[in-house]
Amino acid sequence: MEIFTENAGLLLDAIGTTLLMVLVAGVGSLILGVLVTVARVSPIPILRRAAFLYVQFFINVPLLALLLLAVFALPDAGLILPLLPTAIIVLTVYEAAYVAEAVRSGINTVSVGQIEASRALGLTLWQSLRLIVIPQSLRAVVQPLGNVMIALAMNTALAAVVGVVELTSRVNKINLVYAQPIEIFTGAGLAYMLIALAIGLAAGRIERKVAILR
Amino acid sequence: MSTPNTNVASYLYEVPGPRGRRRIIIGSIISALIIAGVIGAGLWQFGSRGQLDADKWTPFLDLAIWKYLGVGLLGTLQAAAIVAILGASFGTLLALGRVSKVRWLSWLCAGYIEIARTVPVLLLIYLMLFGLPQLGINFPVLWKLAIPLTLANAAVFAEIVRAGILSLPRGQAEAAFSLGLRSSQVMRLVVLPQAVRNVTPSLITQLVSLMKDTSLGFIVAFTELLYRGQVLSSFNHLLIQTYLVVTIIYLLVNGSLSGLASRLQKKPGRRRTTIASATMALPLPTPGGQSPQKAPHV
Amino acid sequence: MFTLGSSRRRVAVFGAAVAVTALALSACSTDSSSNVPGGDDAADVTDVQAMLAGAPVADDALFTAGSTMEKIRERGTLIVGEALDAPLLSQQDPANPDDVAGFDAYLAQLLSVYIFGEPSVEIVPPASETREALLQNGTVDVVFNTYTITEERAEQITFAGPYFSSGLAVAVKADNDEIKGIDDLGGKTVIVGANTPAVLAVPEEQPTAELVDFATDPQAVQALLQGRGDAYVQDYTLLASNAAANSDLKVVGQPFTAEPYGIGLGFGDTEFKDFINNWLLEIQDGGQWGQAWTYSLGTVVESEIPTPPTIGSVPGS
Repeated sequence: MEIFTENAGLLLDAIGTTLLMVLVAGVGSLILGVLVTVARVSPIPILRRAAFLYVQFFINVPLLALLLLAVFALPDAGLILPLLPTAIIVLTVYEAAYVAEAVRSGINTVSVGQIEASRALGLTLWQSLRLIVIPQSLRAVVQPLGNVMIALAMNTALAAVVGVVELTSRVNKINLVYAQPIEIFTGAGLAYMLIALAIGLAAGRIERKVAILR
Repeated sequence: MSTPNTNVASYLYEVPGPRGRRRIIIGSIISALIIAGVIGAGLWQFGSRGQLDADKWTPFLDLAIWKYLGVGLLGTLQAAAIVAILGASFGTLLALGRVSKVRWLSWLCAGYIEIARTVPVLLLIYLMLFGLPQLGINFPVLWKLAIPLTLANAAVFAEIVRAGILSLPRGQAEAAFSLGLRSSQVMRLVVLPQAVRNVTPSLITQLVSLMKDTSLGFIVAFTELLYRGQVLSSFNHLLIQTYLVVTIIYLLVNGSLSGLASRLQKKPGRRRTTIASATMALPLPTPGGQSPQKAPHV
Repeated sequence: MFTLGSSRRRVAVFGAAVAVTALALSACSTDSSSNVPGGDDAADVTDVQAMLAGAPVADDALFTAGSTMEKIRERGTLIVGEALDAPLLSQQDPANPDDVAGFDAYLAQLLSVYIFGEPSVEIVPPASETREALLQNGTVDVVFNTYTITEERAEQITFAGPYFSSGLAVAVKADNDEIKGIDDLGGKTVIVGANTPAVLAVPEEQPTAELVDFATDPQAVQALLQGRGDAYVQDYTLLASNAAANSDLKVVGQPFTAEPYGIGLGFGDTEFKDFINNWLLEIQDGGQWGQAWTYSLGTVVESEIPTPPTIGSVPGS
């Protein structure tokens, strides 16, 4: 136990970094994911195709390989950012693909009558997407989106491999000094479980608030 | 893998008239220009920094390097196969426990699933890597990767299988009970086969996901694709090119698996009718006999 | 930090070598005919074969019944914990995966010749944290893996040697004239390898330095060249090999720690330890130790063959 109190400052810092990644990449991937979904159902074939390829790419390539590429390859294309922002951007574009998959399955739950009605009312495509389709499909997939966010929280641990000092990296360093792996890593596991629990509870609350009663 | 056109998307807009068509063409041109611009700018940046020079890529024409990476890919597939088999079996047991009427068993399985879903695999690997040797336990390197991945993936498999079980109309189980099957038989012969069939696309998606997870073998020095890429890059000092090549290999292998999943997903309706009609055509199963087992496989 | 008189002298040799290496870099990298500047062109395969052919073989009398070396000889292969991705020390050739080259790799082969009369090595690459475990439960017979002898480790495993001594040093981008050694790293961002001795040694010397760690050496080099840190602290020999392969990088100052590398063995196996120390003496006298150095580290460090450290001279060995 004293390991955790002795290193409280360092650990809090690291948890802060993890939470920052979850928060920024979470919000970012939700926005980007919805945009990708819109592109996927748009009337412009090339956008549909591009959005489809985007999702396929990120769903099929390991996050670790993407992180290594972004941290070591992109600087050679003139794109260099500090490690933390790089990791957050990679997590955002990666999870956005999963968000897009979830939202697309939500769109399929919107009943056709809703859309026909919106068209009958004279709404433009953009209006009916923004006012009718997207809000309803998001409501239908609160739980799946919550699961994507939990997966995102777990995936932030991989940033440790490219030098971001977040929770996993920090406890690994602490273990190097104290050599008490079981206590230290179990403690960190509990912290991740709390984060996941918070996301799960939030998703549950939101779902109850916005659920469509039929 | 054709252009996705979800059923709702086709209702979102009318068949475009002349004005609509013109707008779509303009939109297509603009988006094509933007996409080409982004890709072109990226390539130009890479090129201007010498990353596209022939001499940085010609080493990858060497067959020996592909053989080397191929062995890594085999390791990836091997680990993925082990994790898939163990994870799916353990996951199915967890799902059965979760839906069981025995209260404590159901809670235990639910608890396991929740915990395993909310701890990063990397942390589990570190725990195995550092913690178990302290207790005098040390597994071969393949299992240092496979055990944490199995523990984590079993929880996901359990959730998928459970969703499949819950998706079955209750009449299926009720009919099986009325035929005089015991509850274990109902589960084994009627519910599980159909449940698994219903969630096959999700199972394949999860297979892709665990294949990606095996890249963590990089951390335990297991001979898998990313680790071989790592050794290769330390040898040829071509990090970018090596990682790009490795990424493309993952994309091809996993992409074809995902393609399979989406093809299966596209025709569940037709499949279900064939199952139904085929089952109807079969003679009624004799209670306790082995013949009903065959029915779902037709 | 310099506790050993002999290591002080070695440090001076290193310092001189660094300066020369910097000059020799361009020559080194343009010489290589292939596009793979790494461990492969460091030594001629026939040279290594000649070295192994002339290497000492243990007398049958040394294989006492029931001893570890006798069991290994019965089995027919020496199982070694060594890296596959450490150029000049132990680097696998992807074009020919059976060919693992470098100082550690050559010594492991020499030891197998000593036992069997011909090279026969099976490699288990360790993640650097698990080496003790690999030895404790007998997964590997010996570890050759830039394994620094420390008293803490010696409580869990037994070290033969030291067989080589090196130290942590500082590398910077070639155009950096501001940092001249560890003393200039206060308040700077320092790149280190994850789970390497530098993680603990740098804060000891420079508490205000900020550490960034990367899993592997090539990644750390790339990070340094991209400006993700001001300096990279790593084992001197590894840095020298990086500087040889890449002219954008240079080693500055002198090694600021002494890292005596030992051969890891199962805990308490003094019989096997004596056997190996005996072998070390024989290859030092027979010239194979020097050849192994010349064909690996010696290709990038332009100095005389260093004097091997005295066996048993370090606490923990």
